Amino acid sequence: MTAVLNNSIVQRLLRVPPAYYVFTILLITLWVYRPAMLNPNVLGVFVRQNAPLGVLVLGQLIVMRVKSIDLSGGGIILLVNYFISSGLFPDASLAFFAAIALGTGTAIGLFNGLMIGKRHASAVIVTLAVSIMLVGLVQFLSSGKPPGDVPSFLNDMYDTKLGVVPTPVIFWAFLTLIVAGLLSFTVFGRFVDSVGESAEAAHFSGVPVERTVVLAHTIAGFIAGLAALVQTASIAVGSVRVGLDLPILSVAATILGGVVFGRGEGGVWGPFFGVLSFTFLFVVMTAFGVSDPGKLIAQGAIILLAAIFYGVRLARSR
Amino acid sequence: MNRGLLRLLTGGYGRQGLWLAPLIVTLLLAGFLTVRTPDFLRTENLLNVVAQVLPIMITAIGQTFVVIAGGLDLSVGSLISFTTAVLAMDGPGYILIPAAFAFAVLVGLTNGLVVTRFNVHPIIATLAMQYILLGAVRLLRPVAGGTLPDIVLESVNGAPFGIPMALIWAVVAIATAWKLLYGTRFGLHLFAIGGGTASGNEQAARNFGVSDKRTMVLAYVISSCFAALAGVYLAGRISSGDPNVGLGFELDAITAVAIGGTQLSGGIGSLPGTVIGALVLALLSNGMNLTNISPFIQTAIKGAILMAVVGLQSRKKMGL
Repeated sequence: MTAVLNNSIVQRLLRVPPAYYVFTILLITLWVYRPAMLNPNVLGVFVRQNAPLGVLVLGQLIVMRVKSIDLSGGGIILLVNYFISSGLFPDASLAFFAAIALGTGTAIGLFNGLMIGKRHASAVIVTLAVSIMLVGLVQFLSSGKPPGDVPSFLNDMYDTKLGVVPTPVIFWAFLTLIVAGLLSFTVFGRFVDSVGESAEAAHFSGVPVERTVVLAHTIAGFIAGLAALVQTASIAVGSVRVGLDLPILSVAATILGGVVFGRGEGGVWGPFFGVLSFTFLFVVMTAFGVSDPGKLIAQGAIILLAAIFYGVRLARSR
Repeated sequence: MNRGLLRLLTGGYGRQGLWLAPLIVTLLLAGFLTVRTPDFLRTENLLNVVAQVLPIMITAIGQTFVVIAGGLDLSVGSLISFTTAVLAMDGPGYILIPAAFAFAVLVGLTNGLVVTRFNVHPIIATLAMQYILLGAVRLLRPVAGGTLPDIVLESVNGAPFGIPMALIWAVVAIATAWKLLYGTRFGLHLFAIGGGTASGNEQAARNFGVSDKRTMVLAYVISSCFAALAGVYLAGRISSGDPNVGLGFELDAITAVAIGGTQLSGGIGSLPGTVIGALVLALLSNGMNLTNISPFIQTAIKGAILMAVVGLQSRKKMGL
């Protein structure tokens, strides 16, 4: 067994993020048993549903790479959804709503970053508290009732396609490309890597650790604002519950993609395929008539196995 | 403000953490409510507060063990729901109650072993367990219902010698946890393990001969058992099994633990702090109901208090 594990090919295979294996297995399962589901139009609809999650994951992976976490995305989505659907800004343009969403997300991200980076407060508690406050605020403002309708141009945009690919999916892939570039080709990306490996070593090497953590959270907030726009466009109505499960799901997808607190071997595309794996898991389970509880169990088991796979590999590399 | 007093209020001394400031908040809150609403000090209302706070307090007490050791347990909410579903399987109490606790031990063991033996981060391991248990409970009992053993109903709703059962449950839970945390070597080891993790040296406790992995596994088992205990109490309160009754409990429990001054980085925290944290949440909810404040703004204020408490504490570790 040890000899097999020490084999260079096995070692190389173990370094591949679990999301790629899960995605491949699910794709082959569909191809063999339900080829009709691989129709681009059908798949496009399923993938499009997970575009908000995919966008939110991009922020989550940045903060997780600096050994932090952001659970406030649900609150940001809810607040932006309220701004857009409550009728507070009648006849406002897309640019105005985008500015509101990005401004809100960035401000909340900056606050998270300052509390975590400068004050050294626990990221779990700070972002959880922010989310609780935002949820309470939105429910108070809307008296617990769905606020109203979302301007039709947002939903119309959400329904557009480029060829057979839905626009939200293209937007998500484009953003992934930008974040990949940000982390691969900028000084900030190097800082993120070094802080994730060891904040202390990074500090003594001259890396501005606190500023990097603050910036990572600010970017995550900005991205959560974008996710809020996509999510609001997708449901087309106001809600006091929308997006609240997305932060935890985004953590799960990021882990599946091979990015674990402080270690970013899965890069940006690992979590991208993590989200796609969740999408395909849903498609496969639906195609095989598995009930919703069964989907939850499968989702949990996959996260657990992926984490164990990663943990065992990490232990071997030490 | 005097620097020494500030340090005392913000938990600057010792491993007990920030518990004095939340205690002052609790007393102020209770004082305010006594003056503002005559109904607050009525026995029925106070017993109602105890009954309301008990499930969160019991869950938070279990969570405290894991958090002090530097871990986190997100699976407790689903486990509470699962326990109520098991108890509502229309069977005899002498089988269902041990079965519920045996399952809780199994869940705790799995969480602990996955975290310690497979190097999986506690958030990830217990998050996965949360999904699995949520799916399992919805298979077992898709909607609320079922019949509970009589012993569960009697142990929750009775009042032997005029003492409400909720009070007895609270005393037993706190006394058991007190003995485990402050009266055993295991408790001391939890602080040692958490202290090492918080200061960036996870091997520190092991270097002093502490069996860190075994202790961590036991902490997760205790957390699960306390969650199951909360599940038994909740099942008795609602007289049925409910797949959704535990939703969000993990976050409420973490909130209570954090308000009580226990630091999520590990090594610093206290049982009185957690009890005070749970009381703050209950008083807040009860007081706002009595003063007719919107339940929605209560949520926002709960978040604000949590933020204020976290902002008051200083720690070396950055991040989670």
